Amino acid sequence: MSGRLKLVFGVFIVLFLSIIARLFYWQIVKAEELSVLGQAQYGSLITLQPKRGEIKTSDGFPVASNKVSYLVFANPKEVKEKDKTAMLLSSQLGEDIASVSSVLSLDKVWVRVKANVTPETKETLSKLQLTGIGFEEESTRFYPEASLAAHLIGFVGKGEYGENKGYFGLEGYYDRQLAGKPGKAVQIHDAFGRPILSRVNENAGAIDGRSITLSLDRTVQFIAEKALAEGVERYGASGGMVGIIDPATGQILAMASMPSFDQGKYQEYSETLYKNPFISSLYEPGSTFKSLVMSSGFDSDAVEPYTKCPICAGPVSLGGYEIRTWNNTYTKNVTMIDVIKNSDNIGMVYVSQKLGLSEMLQYFEKFGIGHLTGIDLQGEVSAEIKPEDNWYEIDVATASFGQGVSVTPMQLLSGFAAIANEGIRMEPHVVSKIETADGKTIDIPAKEVSRPISSTTAKVMTEVLVNAASHGEANFARLKGYRIAGKTGTAQIPIAGHYDPNKTIASFIGFAPANKPKFAMLVIVDRPTTSIYGSETAAPIFFRIAKDLLMYYGIPPEE
Amino acid sequence: MKKPKLFIISIAFVILVLSVVQVVVSNGLSTTGTELGRLQEEIGRYQTETAILSEKVLIASSLTQVASNAGALGFLEPKSQVYISSPLPIARR
Repeated sequence: MSGRLKLVFGVFIVLFLSIIARLFYWQIVKAEELSVLGQAQYGSLITLQPKRGEIKTSDGFPVASNKVSYLVFANPKEVKEKDKTAMLLSSQLGEDIASVSSVLSLDKVWVRVKANVTPETKETLSKLQLTGIGFEEESTRFYPEASLAAHLIGFVGKGEYGENKGYFGLEGYYDRQLAGKPGKAVQIHDAFGRPILSRVNENAGAIDGRSITLSLDRTVQFIAEKALAEGVERYGASGGMVGIIDPATGQILAMASMPSFDQGKYQEYSETLYKNPFISSLYEPGSTFKSLVMSSGFDSDAVEPYTKCPICAGPVSLGGYEIRTWNNTYTKNVTMIDVIKNSDNIGMVYVSQKLGLSEMLQYFEKFGIGHLTGIDLQGEVSAEIKPEDNWYEIDVATASFGQGVSVTPMQLLSGFAAIANEGIRMEPHVVSKIETADGKTIDIPAKEVSRPISSTTAKVMTEVLVNAASHGEANFARLKGYRIAGKTGTAQIPIAGHYDPNKTIASFIGFAPANKPKFAMLVIVDRPTTSIYGSETAAPIFFRIAKDLLMYYGIPPEE
Repeated sequence: MKKPKLFIISIAFVILVLSVVQVVVSNGLSTTGTELGRLQEEIGRYQTETAILSEKVLIASSLTQVASNAGALGFLEPKSQVYISSPLPIARR
């Protein structure tokens, strides 16, 4: 009897232990796997796309923002009356009926019909209640000011995996800051798909992109672009550029280039237009470069303003080449003040001879020539200055008047702005502050890069440039009542070992008001056809913009 | 003997009451998913509407649009400004 009882008891113990073991297996060993399976049944994993940060001008207006758009998709297996649906979709979406029909004929459960559809079109399609057609809300980059500052801002395209990615300009340079970080969320729902209050886990890890505020002044940019567009058309040029900087801080107030493109429709434009030529194209600056070389001559005491040029009575021969003035006019014993006023190439050759190659190269270095400026834009380039040993006498001579040396417009403007800022060169930058998604602000401070010349030299050079702007070849275009420092430039374009005899890059560089500069500006007109000279093309554009800027800033005439 | 019996009955009563309360509360919560879904949809709709209206405001207040509208309304660019006073010189003779 007790034996049978023990046996029954033992069987029950074994059964009990088996159940415990099985429970242990399902609840401990397989717990995680079952939890995932369960979540898949009653929960859905949502990827939370972050909002891309905005790009704002100095007045807080977003020149790059996000708008609501829709992706129209279809489930071809559910679409009834394919022909009628294709016709309705093609008429509303503006797509070719054949391509819509082919998409609806695919043997798939999800196909993309069209992206970037406006809310109005989506509403119209929704009302048609087409079976098998659905809409997915998306966020698309949009530019309220159309193509204003297009080269500066860049655009948003698609990356390797179809994600939004910034290219060129600020969208490219600050892409990681602007993009933010996607998050994941699990939402629990019942058998009918409705969410359950008890467990909702939203915004797990999603971080919206940071917004950036620029030093760019929207009004100044608008003024510059308008004047540039009018000037390029008036002078029959291939293109043009304007850069405006605050010399005291290095902040970029405006940067415009033509021809330009519409960032919202960048695919419709040639890729060659995407690069910002103000920072990405190299050119021989011509006579505008004389202001840097003459400053160097004054600063090193190689020459003084009233030093007389003993070789300026006629053309100069060097290394088998003959150097002439632009108008073949020669003045014996001309002073350095008049060398700049008359844009005398022979006078500049004299300055380079007095300065010496080694000293000249050191000043190039201090002015930032041959180095990246460090501006916060994607795509900046720089040409190297060749080593001292590789310079010939003719190279030194031509470099003194801005030929044979290549710079970007940004390098030239940045170096020139040092004259306007008491000899201190500031690092140019476009962004003044970065705002995080939670409201914190990170200011970008001004940064001093070098002191190429002393403040005394800067003051002297300022007066020389004021004299050049007032009495030089561009004086017809100057603004009366204002002291504006400036220099014209008419640079020949190198082509296959020689210079093009008919085409030039015309420019004018200057700052105003001379006593307390509010802005420094460089205007470049590429291959003008009405006149090849900077004094007759770039200078009028410069003074046109300067006039509007002085009115905008409320700066009264000084004289 | 009576006290433990009373204690057990009290505990059982409390358990019964709490069970009933749990059933009532769970029953009430079970339909809140619909309300939650509705609220989330409404929030989504308002966010979309806000984004669409913000876009329209930005386009309408863009300088490009304002300049175009100003031109159409007959506004002209100012040619000059009148300054009532000029800056004082640092020193006079």
